[in-house]
Amino acid sequence: MSMHTLLQYKWSMMTPEFIVLITALILSLADLWMPNDKNRRPLAWIAVVGVVIALIATAGLIPAKPVSILYDTFRIDSFSKAFKLLVLAGGALCLLLALDYRPKEGLSHRGEFYYLLLCALLGAMIMASSGDLITLFVGLELLSVSSYILAGIRKTSAQSNESALKYVISGGIATAITLFGMSYIFGLTGTTNLKEMAFEVQKLADSNYQYLLALAFLLLLVGLSFKISSVPFHMWAPDVYQGAPTPVTAFLSVVSKTAGFVILLRLFITIFAAAPAHGKDPSSLLLSMQNYIAVLAGLTMIIGNTVALRQRSMKRLFAYSSIAHAGYLLVGFAAMSWVMIDSIWFYLLAYVLMNVGAFAIIQRLSDEADSDDMIHFAGLYQRNPLLAVSMGIFLLSLAGIPGTAGFIGKLNIFLGALMTEPGHYMLAAVMIATTVVSYVYYFGVFVQIFFRPADEAASVKLPVGLTVTVVLCAFGTLLFGIFPSLAYQVLAQFEHFGDFLQ
Amino acid sequence: MGNVYANSYLIVFVFLCIGVLLPVGALTLGKLLRPHVPSEAKQTTYESGNNPFHDSRVQFQVRYYMFALLFVIFDVETVFLYPWAVAYNKLGLFALIEMLIFVLMLVLGLIYAWKKKVLQWM
Repeated sequence: MSMHTLLQYKWSMMTPEFIVLITALILSLADLWMPNDKNRRPLAWIAVVGVVIALIATAGLIPAKPVSILYDTFRIDSFSKAFKLLVLAGGALCLLLALDYRPKEGLSHRGEFYYLLLCALLGAMIMASSGDLITLFVGLELLSVSSYILAGIRKTSAQSNESALKYVISGGIATAITLFGMSYIFGLTGTTNLKEMAFEVQKLADSNYQYLLALAFLLLLVGLSFKISSVPFHMWAPDVYQGAPTPVTAFLSVVSKTAGFVILLRLFITIFAAAPAHGKDPSSLLLSMQNYIAVLAGLTMIIGNTVALRQRSMKRLFAYSSIAHAGYLLVGFAAMSWVMIDSIWFYLLAYVLMNVGAFAIIQRLSDEADSDDMIHFAGLYQRNPLLAVSMGIFLLSLAGIPGTAGFIGKLNIFLGALMTEPGHYMLAAVMIATTVVSYVYYFGVFVQIFFRPADEAASVKLPVGLTVTVVLCAFGTLLFGIFPSLAYQVLAQFEHFGDFLQ
Repeated sequence: MGNVYANSYLIVFVFLCIGVLLPVGALTLGKLLRPHVPSEAKQTTYESGNNPFHDSRVQFQVRYYMFALLFVIFDVETVFLYPWAVAYNKLGLFALIEMLIFVLMLVLGLIYAWKKKVLQWM
């Protein structure tokens, strides 16, 4: 390749990635040359500033036309821009949590903690805009490998080590299954480029190929369900969430899950929607596999919500709740209405806000007590009324009560499921029923906060990073709950992601 | 033509079956044919005719592990650099820049290892 072609590429499209990468490099070098006894916490501010600049840069790219550079391996279309905004916002909030993370035994690798979070974020961003299986996989692994280390960053804590080990092993298995599925579609199409794949699979009308394609579809669905922690790969979530440091838990439940949905949508819509289906309704393979996704979505909602009823540990409770939310999001995917990506985007936006906010408060109370039992929430209202009210807002939003962003998100997905022809009534019914079940455990926490007497009278003071997170999240949750049109205006600029396949 | 892809998997499946059946069959057949007379001496660890002594578990210095890891990193670097150097004239400037980025990342890794005192034999 000559210098000419090299300069022809619109490298400016990669500005957000470059910013995050350079921030991570600067942090790692700064961490190495800082004296050992110096406090590493200021590094987190650099990281937050870097991510916020990347967020602004991504927002600046919104009006740009869809481009793909580096031989179609890196795509900037409205889909990648929209979801990059989400992962960057989630990443910045998680970094604010990490800034004020104070485990009981101290954190000896604080520098690594911050720049590994940035590396994981970079992986998620690459996943959002990759147009090739190789880039997609590299992004996926960058995110996964960084998260494995992050889960075990408390080196002396047995729980943290356990969670890292479990995460590595189940993650390895899931990756193997994903790769196996990818190998089938590569074998059938002979290319790793998603656009060319979409073109090649159209020719595979032979019924023998149909079975192989369906097999590839199921393997990919099962393998990728690890990243979004849905059935059948949900078992790692409670253990890993409980053992990992709280900012990492928040990161896994928000950024990692968003990235999982990004790769799921990108792969399935590009490749399998183009593949012809065999049978009486020959529309596309994706539509013919709709029932499998619907069953997994239903199971995810039922398992997540019912097992959560028995949890006393807050982080385990939120792990099951995050499994349940993955189920709601899968309903949006299984329905395959024309608002699918819009409703998933909005739900993930609401989910980022309410979940990170809740984790900020969990982090404050569990760091203090060195345990994440629900009992430490007792009487929070007497100890800090404002904090209790914000936690109340997050819980209401997670439960999906009107007036909060969580409600609007759920409503969009619910309407999407009924909008299609034929409507997914069964799925919508399961969604409503499990939502009602989820009220029980969300309001259980509610009762602890507002109606139980406090163990200790000392008021809870919130450090600055957590305060910023809680205020931003609570404000966003209410804002998008009362004026969802603000988010729709942002969505309107993406024009229903019509440039997805261009 | 249509079945070439699926048929290659058929061969894999046949091999899988043979691979599972062969040891199972051979071991079962052996069990049926051989005499069964266990004795104390037969159950001792086999050490090429010598009498067994010592524990079978040997401890290695964990420090070798660090060196092995570092070695692997630079070994992989050589593996990438070599074909690039051979085809340098064809690849041109772009590959040079890519290679420089790659080496820079590895140098950062080396600096990290150095600063974390991995290179010291403590």
